[in-house]
Amino acid sequence: TAIFGKKLSSTPLQVLLYLNCWYFAAFFLANILMFIYKGLLLPYPTSNLILDVALLVLFLGLEILRIFYGWKGNLCEHAVTMAVSLFLLLPCITLSAYFLFLQSMVLRLEFLLGLVLLGFYSLQFLLSILALSAFARSKVY
Amino acid sequence: MSVISSLVPARFLTIIAHLVIVITIFWTREYNVKACLPLEFTQEQYNSEDLKLVVALSVTLGLFAIELAGFFSGVSMFNGSQGLLSTGAHASGSVALVFFLFEQWDCAVYWWILAFCSALPALMEILLLIAVFGLSKKPL
Repeated sequence: TAIFGKKLSSTPLQVLLYLNCWYFAAFFLANILMFIYKGLLLPYPTSNLILDVALLVLFLGLEILRIFYGWKGNLCEHAVTMAVSLFLLLPCITLSAYFLFLQSMVLRLEFLLGLVLLGFYSLQFLLSILALSAFARSKVY
Repeated sequence: MSVISSLVPARFLTIIAHLVIVITIFWTREYNVKACLPLEFTQEQYNSEDLKLVVALSVTLGLFAIELAGFFSGVSMFNGSQGLLSTGAHASGSVALVFFLFEQWDCAVYWWILAFCSALPALMEILLLIAVFGLSKKPL
């Protein structure tokens, strides 16, 4: 709890996390459909396809965890929870960079969707650090 | 309240969808430019039509900037009327531009799509921005 009832939660961060929930759902669905497309119509190696789908599912799990911890950390003004969210951001950034650059075949649509996601991550990174420093600096009774 | 809370992400996702398709058209506009030229064309004719399409797409990106600025500043994020207009316009724009892209429509068609699907919500956004910041109205 904060001193004198001063609100430390970051509203812009909360807006980004909320929209990121919806955006990632759309991103995941689009990627599944694009993998089906690439698997059926393009000469995509089967082993690479299986690996990419597995990584996408892993990405989903990490993203759910990260958004949950970020959401909870921000609204409860809890520094440790927010720090966990920041640490989970690193594998998420790595995976989104993988889907942008290291897949066997990258569609233009996939590239653009990945760029938007990286934009989300960079903004959330900055806002999370600001929120974390605000929480850590506050003194509790 | 549940309707409003569903409208906000719907509006955001349709704006992003429209934006993604506009950038894709930027990337592959060669076919659309050729679609509005005769079979025999000079390089000068091609450059002229290409410039027009680039201008149209750049104007669209500018209108997107206006709309996203209004959305993220909170001016129209929870405005139901603007949310509905924006969602409808951008969803229609996304569908129309997918046809534009896949059917390689004539590039003159793009201006009509721009007018109804980008300029209209951006114009309403500007009016809301003026009302909120200029006339001190409440954002809702």
